[in-house]
Amino acid sequence: MRPLTEEETRVMFEKIAKYIGENLQLLVDRPDGTYCFRLHNDRVYYVSEKILKLAANISGDKLVSLGTCFGKFTKTHKFRLHITALDYLAPYAKYKVWIKPGAEQSFLYGNHVLKSGLGRITESTCQYQGVVVYSMADVPLGFGVAAKSTQDCRKVDPMAIVVFHQADIGEYVRHEETLT
Amino acid sequence: MKANREVKRLFVGGLGQNISKADLQNQFSRFGEVSDVEIITRKDDKGNPQKVFAYINIRVSEADLHKCMSVLNKTKWKGGTLQIQLAKESFLHRLAQEREAAKAKKEKSAIGNTSFLEKMGVVDFHVKAVPGTEVPGHKNWVVSKFGRVLPVLHLKNQHKRKIMKYDPSKYCHNLKKIGDDVTNVTPVSHLTWELEGGDDPMSKKRRGEFCAAHSSPRKRIKMQKDEVSAAFAAARARPSRVPGSPPPPRQGEAQETPCDPVTPTLHVPASHSQKLENVFVQTSGVGTTRNRNPMSDDDTDSEEEIRLLIAREESLEKTVWSSVDESANEPFEVVRGDFKPDVHTLRSFPGLGDASCLAGEDEVTGTDCNYDSGDTDEIIAAKKKSSKVKSRTEFSQTEMSDHKKALKNIKNWELSDHCVAAQKGKTNMELAVSPGATSHSSSSRGVGSASESTGSEEDEEYSALMKNCLRVRLTLSDLEQLAGGDLQAPGQDPGSGDQKIPAKCGRASKSQGTPGGLCRGRQCIHPEEIVAALLEGEENTNEKQKPNENSLKPKFQAFKGVGCLYGKESVKTLKERVASDNTNEDQNSLKLDPSSLSVAKGSPYANVSSSELTPLQHAKKASDPNQKQPEKRQSTFESEDHKMVSPSSLESGNRSPTSSLLPLKRKSLSLHVKTSKVGFDKDCCHGTRKPGEGSGRNSLLAPAEAPEGSSSRAAWGSSADVPLPVSSRAAVRAPGKPADDNEKRLAALEQRWRAKEARKQLVRDALADLDGRPEDKPTHIIFDSDSDAEETPAGEQSRRGEEPVKEARSRASGKLFDSEDEESGSEDDSHRFRIKPQFEGRAGRKLMDLQSHFGTDDRFRMDSRFLESDSEEEQEEENDRRTAEQEELAAETLKALNIVQSVLRTSLSGSTHKGSVAAKEFKDVIHYDPTRHDHASYERKTDDKPKESKAKRRKKREEAEKLPEVSKEMYYNVAADLKEIFQTTKVTSETADETPSSENHHGEKVKVQKPTTLTNGAEQPGGFTFSFFDSDAKDVKEDTYRVETVRTGTVFWQGAPRVQDSSSEEEDVTEETEDNEAGPGEVSVPEKETTRFFFFSKNDERLHGCDLFWRGVGSGISRNSWEARTNNLRIDCRKKHKDAKRRVKPK
Repeated sequence: MRPLTEEETRVMFEKIAKYIGENLQLLVDRPDGTYCFRLHNDRVYYVSEKILKLAANISGDKLVSLGTCFGKFTKTHKFRLHITALDYLAPYAKYKVWIKPGAEQSFLYGNHVLKSGLGRITESTCQYQGVVVYSMADVPLGFGVAAKSTQDCRKVDPMAIVVFHQADIGEYVRHEETLT
Repeated sequence: MKANREVKRLFVGGLGQNISKADLQNQFSRFGEVSDVEIITRKDDKGNPQKVFAYINIRVSEADLHKCMSVLNKTKWKGGTLQIQLAKESFLHRLAQEREAAKAKKEKSAIGNTSFLEKMGVVDFHVKAVPGTEVPGHKNWVVSKFGRVLPVLHLKNQHKRKIMKYDPSKYCHNLKKIGDDVTNVTPVSHLTWELEGGDDPMSKKRRGEFCAAHSSPRKRIKMQKDEVSAAFAAARARPSRVPGSPPPPRQGEAQETPCDPVTPTLHVPASHSQKLENVFVQTSGVGTTRNRNPMSDDDTDSEEEIRLLIAREESLEKTVWSSVDESANEPFEVVRGDFKPDVHTLRSFPGLGDASCLAGEDEVTGTDCNYDSGDTDEIIAAKKKSSKVKSRTEFSQTEMSDHKKALKNIKNWELSDHCVAAQKGKTNMELAVSPGATSHSSSSRGVGSASESTGSEEDEEYSALMKNCLRVRLTLSDLEQLAGGDLQAPGQDPGSGDQKIPAKCGRASKSQGTPGGLCRGRQCIHPEEIVAALLEGEENTNEKQKPNENSLKPKFQAFKGVGCLYGKESVKTLKERVASDNTNEDQNSLKLDPSSLSVAKGSPYANVSSSELTPLQHAKKASDPNQKQPEKRQSTFESEDHKMVSPSSLESGNRSPTSSLLPLKRKSLSLHVKTSKVGFDKDCCHGTRKPGEGSGRNSLLAPAEAPEGSSSRAAWGSSADVPLPVSSRAAVRAPGKPADDNEKRLAALEQRWRAKEARKQLVRDALADLDGRPEDKPTHIIFDSDSDAEETPAGEQSRRGEEPVKEARSRASGKLFDSEDEESGSEDDSHRFRIKPQFEGRAGRKLMDLQSHFGTDDRFRMDSRFLESDSEEEQEEENDRRTAEQEELAAETLKALNIVQSVLRTSLSGSTHKGSVAAKEFKDVIHYDPTRHDHASYERKTDDKPKESKAKRRKKREEAEKLPEVSKEMYYNVAADLKEIFQTTKVTSETADETPSSENHHGEKVKVQKPTTLTNGAEQPGGFTFSFFDSDAKDVKEDTYRVETVRTGTVFWQGAPRVQDSSSEEEDVTEETEDNEAGPGEVSVPEKETTRFFFFSKNDERLHGCDLFWRGVGSGISRNSWEARTNNLRIDCRKKHKDAKRRVKPK
């Protein structure tokens, strides 16, 4: 468990900023307490100060996880967002996509969102913009990347992919062992 | 010649009117064999023939045909000009020909095929690849479509223990070509037919005969009524007294209904209700003219109800799937970035869905009830297939018909005696049937009548008890009716039947009822006895009593409704009746409302309805497990009823029975939305009741309740208003009253029981509360209680008897709530009294003390900051401990923030972040704080200069105000001379004129040159005004040097007003320096300056300003400097503009 290096932080923030934009500041500088990012087993954890202190008592090799896992660094030092970060990112999401109930399940099984399943989309979403996927009942379902901008979405045929799947809450079941 | 003769069809037009077939045949037989002649006469609507033409089938050769045409065409023959044309063959002929051809072809092909196969001697698989062909050589394989080979399966039949052969080719891929099968078609001659004439209007219409006038609906109704009664009579298989009862077509329909549940709902109940309502209205003694109105209303009502039901279902579905539908309509919606989904509504969807589901359930039950036409019992019968149940259905029918008949007969007084007799017989029948009914119910539930209820265990669930209660009610109502019938029978037998005084009837009831009860055992005993038995049966089980209460409620409410008419008296009478002083009280009660609707009248309704509704409820109970709901329903509907009662007391008499019925009907939950619910409930109850409405009670009720049926209701009410003829009223009362009395008695007893029950309930609830109720009580009960609490005040007056129970329940639930509240409250308290973290410890106490001095204003809230100075020694150690970590973290966050900023700048547009910072600064500037040192930068350091300039400006303003007048005078004076002067100057100063290109420069130059040419000081200003007509500046300038005071700030006067405002002093300085630098331009014209000495000193500062505009003859330097300076200024200006823009933008 160690703080992130500057480079790591940058990479991670760049990724997160794709989803929540400048709201990232609110994550880093929270009014309700000090939170920080910690790297442990290549995974980035978003930890409150208190938990951090508690976790400091546990040796690194025994520590499985602490706080909330935001994602992990791949071997190529790219940051990959985990679904566990959804709870923290969803409230700040700038660009959202709502999917129809019929397409919900498909998305939750790890599939991309087709236009036929697209229920609603934030106005000015541009292509490859990170989006948070919601169900029509406004339950956050996961992360995605807009494959088409909002304008393009209007034109494409119903079976075209509009949102690339990044992470979904189905992973809690599917990837239970890797989500820490 | 003969060979090419073929049959042709000729059209012969323009025939005379009196032409005959023989004539035509003769005429055309010259050319060939005429086989068929068809004369067609076209007539106008008055029957006058207009056109006559004929079709002739003739076997003729081509040549003959030509001959015929040429000879006969357009010739006059028998009053007409013939017109002969070749016609198309008759379609029948053509059909026959086609068929023949097909047949021939097929035969041929068959022959060909066989021969081919024989010839080949090979199994041609493809030829045989017709679905269903067995694969040659493989036993259990068949060829199906597309030549696919499928196995034949041998399946064991579940029921018959037989092995079935399943040939897939028969079930799948078994498309067959249709149409080639010519062999077994109906012969051509059979293809045409004629509509056989009938007397019924439909066949008439089919034949195109319309009767001119619309037959009056009343007649039809009557006819239907007769039919129905006849049908019932037939169903009963009893000699009916109704005159002229043809074999009933209705009955068949009634029998059909169970099999085909959907269709009958639409018309059967409606028709029933129509008739019955009609009967009712008629019996009420109102003119038959009224009949139409309620009838039609009812008709529409039933239709509308159905429509409403459908609409509601749809709407419910819509609510559930609204979002989906929306999105389905539009592929997707695009929302703004700040889109805030209505979380509440969305979240409430599940709830809604539940509600709708439940509602749907209810509706399902309702529709179930709807489906069973006329009678739920029939469905039951269909299910049970027991003769008993059959009889039961019949019984219910007899009930209805009984009442109907009774009322009808009352109307038709001449038939009254017969009717009474009939009724008697019927009642007997009822008695015979009712045991069957009870036994049926008992068989279905195991708990049937009162006797069974005794045997029922105490631990039975409430629902079971409710069911039980319903059954009990059924029996009760039956018994009541029986008793009533009995009473009637004796009352009418001895008496003339016409004069039935209530008293007599009551007495009769007493006298006759008891023996009847004795002889018939349980079923037909005196109502009191029945109740007693019931109560005995229910003795100690409170829950059992409850159902009973429920069962009795409706009747009681009916009275209550009537009771609204005569207020407390009825209650009193009820109570008195408890003392079993029946007859007198009955008289009293009846006397109390002689003008209004008779109680008796109301009570039969109640009777009928209750007895009829029970079957419905049976069905409902079977389907609906929710037992709490009826009560709920009651509460809601009662209030509504009460409302309805209020408008007209007379109507209430009619409707109160309705109200008593409705609450029981209400099985759907949902008290959330009351108003909408009310309508919904209404509909539901309509739906449920309608089928059971074989008797038409519901039809009566339906219009009364439905908002759209208000008119009919009004009509009905008015009809009720009309004072009935005494005799008729008596008659109406006669059948109903005994039952009414019984009811009242029952109600009174019921009331007592209820009171007791309520007391018990209270005690129990109190005890339960003491024990502490488990919190896992279902929420809907809480709802229930809520609604009860709400409804009770509304429904108070209408049903006072129910109140205690309800109150108790509500109170109990209230306590439930209270306890919860208390718990939560205690939690809150604990929260409240917990010491907040910042107030812990000694320092904390101090802080609290400090804080207590100030209000709750956030600004004055004492922070730990305030304490730090005091309690430093304490906190220091902690701080020391923490600081290291905190600093680390802080540093980390700072770093992170920096990275965030850098990231954001890269990822987002950099300006936004910067802009926000700038915005903050901007804010600071706005809120200038003189006490802050860093704000000193915003102060102007050179305070004196602006002041000076102000003074100057003021001066200049004054001058400017003064001077124009002066110049004006001069202008007028000198204008004429100036031209000449100028011309002269122009000549002299040609060299000087060459240089100026821009006017400004020219002006300056003129000013410069003037001294050379002009000696006249008076003329000079005039020249200025001429050349610079609109510029005040010149005048001012002129003035300045006329005053001849040496000014340092001449430059300012030109530049200052603008420059000082917009830019800082440094710029001015630079400009000045620039001006000085630009000085070299001046140097190029020194010789002129000498001549100008009179006006300008050599180094006159005033000329600095002019230097800006001065351009010497070959002064590239000055131009360059000028250009450089303008560029500089431009850049400067742009920069400033940009900065200002940037500063404003983020805002």
